Amino acid sequence: MSLRSELRQQYDIIGSLQPATHVPQNWNYEIPSSLYRAYMHPPHDVGGQRDVPLQYEEKEEEQWELNTYVTCEVLGWRGIWNAEERRRRADNDLGYTLYLGMPYYGRWIWAAARMLVDKNHVSLTELLEKIAEVKSRHER
Amino acid sequence: MKDKKTSKAPEKTDNAPARFKAGDRVRVKDLPNMFYSRTQMYARGVSGTIAARTYQDLIPEDEAFNRDGRLEQYYIVRFRQKDLWEEYPSEKDTLQTEFPDRWLEPV
Repeated sequence: MSLRSELRQQYDIIGSLQPATHVPQNWNYEIPSSLYRAYMHPPHDVGGQRDVPLQYEEKEEEQWELNTYVTCEVLGWRGIWNAEERRRRADNDLGYTLYLGMPYYGRWIWAAARMLVDKNHVSLTELLEKIAEVKSRHER
Repeated sequence: MKDKKTSKAPEKTDNAPARFKAGDRVRVKDLPNMFYSRTQMYARGVSGTIAARTYQDLIPEDEAFNRDGRLEQYYIVRFRQKDLWEEYPSEKDTLQTEFPDRWLEPV
């Protein structure tokens, strides 16, 4: 992000993701237990929450979604993780903002990448450099 | 990629005993939420009836962290919708969902 105007725009987008309950200090030692329970609530436990009516749409999987699915399954067959660990990482560990903001298979591939880094199958720098390389190939 | 096994098939010999049978009244435990759960918040602390014993499997809290724990019996538990949602309009409707043994206690 070399343009300073793009940098400012990016900070504004990050700012728009601030949680609805935002305590500007970090020394709030006491929070009500109901708020604590809300913070600990697993994002994927959505049953019972209020929501607006949604339009149901038929949509075919895109190629990257199928690739993601196969990648995650192969990681399972090779014993690198199991389906429950995948759910834990993709539905819980990524937190509310990503859970609600990312596409369904975006959460899967985020979880797979995080798991491979956590378990030292790839290093973070290896992953970042690979993503940058692929990105530059596509931008050419 | 390293070919390293991080999980293996659980030992089938170390099963926890199945405490409930179809028709038993049970209540879902209300344990704290932390890091991972598959026990819905709306079912916690609510009583229902065992509709069926299903299979034995690892519990989600172990499997999600790659712990090869013991196998537990899973059950389908049937709740009255009215017990789950006070405002639910019909007395007759039920909701069925599934829990491992340790999330249930006898009523």
